[in-house]
Amino acid sequence: MKNKLNTKDLISIGIFTALYFVVILIASFVGYIPILMVLMPALCALIGAIPFMLFLTRTKKFGMVTIMGILLGLITFLMGRPWPSLLIGVAAGLIADMYLKSTGFASIKKSTLGCGIFSLWLLGMALPLFFGYHDAYMESMRPGYGDAYVDMLTKLTPDWMFWIVMVTIFIGGLLGAWIGSKILKKHFAKAGMA
Amino acid sequence: MELFSHAKGGYKSVLDPRTKLLMLIAINVAVMGTGFQGTDYFVRVVCAVIPFVLFLLIRKVRTALIYAGVCAVMLFVEGVLIPSTSGILNLVIVITSGAFSRILIGFAFAYYAMCSTTVSEFATAMKRVHIPDQITIPLSVMFRFFPTLSEESRSIRNAMRMRGIRLGGKKGGLLAQMEYRIVPLMMSTLRIGDELSAASLTKGLEAGKPRTHICQIHMTALDWLLILIGLGLLGYMFFLR
Amino acid sequence: MITLKNISFQYKNTDALGRERKTRGLEDLTLSVQKGEFVVLAGDSGCGKTTITRLINGLVPHYYEGDVSGEVSVAGIDVQKADIGVLSAHVGSVFQNPRSQFFNVDTTSEMAFVSENLCVEPDTIRQSILRVVQDMRMENLVNRSIFALSGGEKQKVACASVAVAEPDIMVLDEPSSNLDAAGIEDLKNTLSLWKAKGKTVVIAEHRLYYLTALLDRLIILKNGRIEAQFSGKEVRSMTDEAAYAMGLRSFHKVEIAPSLVDTGAEASEALICRGFAFRYKNTDLTLCFPELRFPRGRITAVIGRNGAGKSTFARLLCGLERRGRGEVSFAGRLWNRKLRSELCYMIMQDVNHQLFTESVLDEVILSMPAAGMNDERESKARGILRQLDLEDLADVHPMALSGGQKQRVAIASGAACESPVLLFDEPTSGLDLNHMRQVADILRMLRGEGKTVIVITHDTELVREVADHVIDFDLETTQTNVLSKGV
Repeated sequence: MKNKLNTKDLISIGIFTALYFVVILIASFVGYIPILMVLMPALCALIGAIPFMLFLTRTKKFGMVTIMGILLGLITFLMGRPWPSLLIGVAAGLIADMYLKSTGFASIKKSTLGCGIFSLWLLGMALPLFFGYHDAYMESMRPGYGDAYVDMLTKLTPDWMFWIVMVTIFIGGLLGAWIGSKILKKHFAKAGMA
Repeated sequence: MELFSHAKGGYKSVLDPRTKLLMLIAINVAVMGTGFQGTDYFVRVVCAVIPFVLFLLIRKVRTALIYAGVCAVMLFVEGVLIPSTSGILNLVIVITSGAFSRILIGFAFAYYAMCSTTVSEFATAMKRVHIPDQITIPLSVMFRFFPTLSEESRSIRNAMRMRGIRLGGKKGGLLAQMEYRIVPLMMSTLRIGDELSAASLTKGLEAGKPRTHICQIHMTALDWLLILIGLGLLGYMFFLR
Repeated sequence: MITLKNISFQYKNTDALGRERKTRGLEDLTLSVQKGEFVVLAGDSGCGKTTITRLINGLVPHYYEGDVSGEVSVAGIDVQKADIGVLSAHVGSVFQNPRSQFFNVDTTSEMAFVSENLCVEPDTIRQSILRVVQDMRMENLVNRSIFALSGGEKQKVACASVAVAEPDIMVLDEPSSNLDAAGIEDLKNTLSLWKAKGKTVVIAEHRLYYLTALLDRLIILKNGRIEAQFSGKEVRSMTDEAAYAMGLRSFHKVEIAPSLVDTGAEASEALICRGFAFRYKNTDLTLCFPELRFPRGRITAVIGRNGAGKSTFARLLCGLERRGRGEVSFAGRLWNRKLRSELCYMIMQDVNHQLFTESVLDEVILSMPAAGMNDERESKARGILRQLDLEDLADVHPMALSGGQKQRVAIASGAACESPVLLFDEPTSGLDLNHMRQVADILRMLRGEGKTVIVITHDTELVREVADHVIDFDLETTQTNVLSKGV
C-alpha cells in the first residue's frame, strides 16, 4: 500500500527528529537567562523550524509529522515535565499533520502554517509554570522559597501568560518556517536536494 | 564468550529497561510536585539518593560523587541560604537553585538510564510492551544518529574555523552564522539518512514485519524492589497528598 | 546464480529546478555469474559498476527509482518482483562508507541484525555470531560501540554482519575506499575466507591490487556497457602498463621507493614543526612527534597506517586543536595557534563539510581576505576558477556538483585564501586512475605556484606520481616513538 509508512520514512523521521532536537537543545541554552526564559520557547521554535521545513519536503504521507510529535512529546515527558506535555506533543503533531494532509503536502506557504502549528509541542516544556500545576507548584514552594519569590513568580506567570507564550511560539514557528523556506530555496532547491 | 555482557563500557546493566522507565516516570512526578516540608522532603531525599546508588552500581563512581556533591550544595542552599537571605539576593538564589534542583534529580536518573541501557535492550523492552514499529524504529534511529550528528557538527565547526567564519568576525552577522552552521548539517543529515536507509533495506529491515531479538532482558530482585519504590512514589503523589 | 539479461536502467532524479532528470545507469547489459565465482567490476566513475551491485541486492528498483528494462534474477528470484527483504537472505551487501551502513549502535547487535530481521531463532543467531567471530578472528570487536572503532574495524564488522546470516552471494561496493594497508589486508583475508566457503562474490572496485590473487573474472565497464572481460589468469599476468592503458589502477601493489622516505629533509627552506604533542581525551595516550620538516614549495606525502596520528597532526598544524602543544616555524617566523589557520589550509577528506555557500563563485570569495573592492575580488575569484577548470560552474550550487568537482571547489577556496601551505587529507580515496591523475596535475600546478603542499594519503600510486618527498609516520613510530603511552 502506497500510503503506509515504510522503512525509509521511519528512518527519515528518526534522523530528523534527532536533528530537530539537537538544534533546539542548542537554542535553548540561551534561555537560561531568567528574563529571556519567557522567550526561550519561541526562539527554539524559530530555529527548529529550519530543519523541520526540510523534513516536510520529504514528507508526503500522513503520519510522519504525528510520529515526530509523539517522539518529541515523549522526550519532553521523560525529561521531567508533567504528563500532559506528552499529550500536547501528540496533539500538536496530529493537528499539524492533518492540516498538512489537507493541503496535499505540496505548498510551501501552507507548510509554513503547518510548521507554526507543530511548534506548539514546545508548550509542553513550558507547562509546569502554569495552570493547575501553577498553584500546587507555587504553594509547594512557599515554605521553602519564601513569600517574596512565590509572589514575584506568580506575578510573572499568571495563567494568561501561558497564552502569550503560546502565541510567541506560534509566531516563532511561522518566522522560522519562513526563514527555512528561504534557506531551502537558496541551497537545497538549487542543489537539487529538495 | 558472552554476548552483550559488557555492551557499555564494561559493566553489566543491572536493571531491566522497563523498570528504568517506570522509575523515570515516578521520580519525575515525585520531584516536580513535592515541596520541602515533612513527608514531601523525605520523598525528595529518597528520589535524590536513588540515582546516587545506581551510579555506584554501574561503577560510575566519579559521576556518583559529583552528583552527590551537587546535591549537597543544593541542599545547603535550600536549607540554609534561602531562609537567611532576602530581597533580590534571595530571589536570584531561589530562581537559579530552585529550577535547578527540580531538574537535577530527574535528569540524573535519565542520565543513568542512558548510560546503562544499550539501544538493543531498549528496543527489546519496547517490543515487549508492544509498542509498534512506527515508534520503535524512529526512536532507535534517533539514538543511533545522535553521535553521528555530533561528529559531523564537530567537523563542520573545524571547517568553519579554518575558513575564518567566526562569530563577530567579518564574514557575516548572527543570521549568516546560523546559516553556515546549520545548512551543512542539514545536508549531511540528508546524505547519511539516504545511505542508512539503503543499507538497512539490504539488511532486511521492514516496518511491521515481525523479527526476533537476541538481546535478553529479565527482571531481577532489584528490579522488583525498585518497581515497588516507584509504585510507592506514584501512589504517594496521587493518593496520599 | 546471478543473471542480468539485456538490462537497461536509467536513474530518475530531480535536478536543481525540480525537473525530472534521467541519468544513464546501464545500457543493454547482459551478464551472468556462476555459483562460487569471484567477479570484480571495474571502470571509471559512472561506468555502471555500482548500478550492477544495486541490481543484485535489489536497491534498484526498490530504493533507487528509475526505469528498468530487462530481467534480473538472483538465486532464482526475480529481483524486480521480489520483496527486498527476501533478497537479504540470499545477498549480503557491504558498502563504501563505514559511517552510514550500521543501523545499530553496538557491534553485536549489528551482527545479529540481518538474522533478526529474517526471524531466525535467537539461539541459532548466537551460534552463528560465535562462528563468524571465530572464523574472522575478531574476538576483540564483539560487544563494542561502533563509534569507537576505526575505519578498518568498522568494515570488518560490516563484513561480519553480512556473514552471520550466511547468504550465498556477497556484493561489495568499493569497500576499500577508506581503508589503510592493514585494513585492506583484513578485507582481503575476509574475502578469501568467503571464497573458500564457496560464496559467490561480486565486488565493484577501483583499487584492484588486493583482489588480483582472488578474482576469477574481471569485467571492465564503460558508459553502462561491458567493454572487456578478463579471466583471473590473464589478469595476474598483466603488467602495470596494460592496466594503465585501460584506465585502471595497478594490479600489483605499488611500493614507495625507500629513497623518497626521509625525515630530516635537508631543504633550505621548510615548514618546521617542533615538539608537537597531543593528549587524547580519556586515555593515557599522548602523541609526540619529533621534528618534522616539509620543504617549501614541494609536495610532501605523509603516509602511515590509520591511527598513527596523521589526522591529529594535520589538525594541530592547522590550529584546529585546542589541546595540543607545538611550535611551527615557517619563512623565518613562528606561527602560534591562531595564526596557523592563516598559514595552512586543509582540504578535508569529506569535502561536504567545508562547502558553505550557494554558488561556486561565492565559495571562493568566502575565503578571500575581506579587504579590497568587490569587483576586484570577483575577478580574482574567476581567475582561480579558470585555473581549475571550474569557470562554467561559477553559478552552480556546490552541493550539486560531483565529488571530484566539489574537491576542486575546495581547492579553489584554498588557493583563494592565499595560504602558503596546503594540506590535503586523502584526496584520492575512491578515485579511479584518470581522476587520480587529475588531482596529481592540480597538486603539481599548486607546487608550480610556490605553495608548500602536504598530502596525507594511503594511495601509493599517487605518491609515486607526485611526491617529492615522503614522511612515514609508521617509521617515525619505531625510530622515535611517536605514539608513546604515558603522562
